[in-house]
Amino acid sequence: MSLLASLSIAGSGMSAESERLSAIASNIANANSQVGGNGQEYRAREVVFQAASVYGDDGDGASVGTDGVKVAGIVESDAPTHSVYDPTSTFADANGYVQMPNVNPVDEMVNMISAQQDYQANLEAFNVVKTLALRTLTI
Amino acid sequence: MAAAIDTGLEFYRQVLALRAYRQEILSADIANASTPGFKAVDLDFAEALNSAVSRRPGSDAPASPKRIWLVDDSRQMGSGAVGGAADVASQSIKYQTGSEVTLDGNSVDLDHEKVTAAENAVQYEAATTFASQMVRMMMIAITGSASQQSSGG
Repeated sequence: MSLLASLSIAGSGMSAESERLSAIASNIANANSQVGGNGQEYRAREVVFQAASVYGDDGDGASVGTDGVKVAGIVESDAPTHSVYDPTSTFADANGYVQMPNVNPVDEMVNMISAQQDYQANLEAFNVVKTLALRTLTI
Repeated sequence: MAAAIDTGLEFYRQVLALRAYRQEILSADIANASTPGFKAVDLDFAEALNSAVSRRPGSDAPASPKRIWLVDDSRQMGSGAVGGAADVASQSIKYQTGSEVTLDGNSVDLDHEKVTAAENAVQYEAATTFASQMVRMMMIAITGSASQQSSGG
């Protein structure tokens, strides 16, 4: 069932890329947040991809060379945050400084373009395979 | 003479299975375009088709797929599901060379993958066209005229 497997592979690519886009959107949205969800300063997040069989962890039934992709994990950037003097803020420390996120908007925009292109490529692959599958029905 | 009626179709069955397999490999390359350390692969179609056709039933190697699978057969869900073609073809999978490798070890060239996938799709469609022409020819031979063929093709 190679053709239908191709649909799953392209689908895995699309869901992984949209998870990457979510992380980017979250980073951009929080570029000026003084505190993250865990009470600490917000740190830029990036998803890490890993090749993985679309048939599950044991890969039963997969043919050679046909791995899909999955999100292996999310890492937080360890780039330094920068301190901003804002004594009126609720989150200011004893000296009146708050830690602003280490989100780099340029990095995020570049990453977003890359993710968008990858998503489109997967979508194209999906559509091509769909056409082929339908074409096969007309033999 | 029983074999004669599907001799041509058997060939296109192999071609379609291999083309579909190659499409699957290219989809996998595209899906992993951003995976660190992923190396792009491709199917050497000519070689795969050669070894698929040369392993015909009747030769020493029993290449023909089992028509009936036992439920406890471990190969039931294996790559034999495409008729054994992918079994043989997996030996014709090769790493793509010549593309640039990024800093994170990924060698997928997205443009190249897209072009190859499109070309492979056209070849697949061509094979389906040839296959249906084969069926039409067979129907003409059976019915003795092409006029009743409009519904079959």
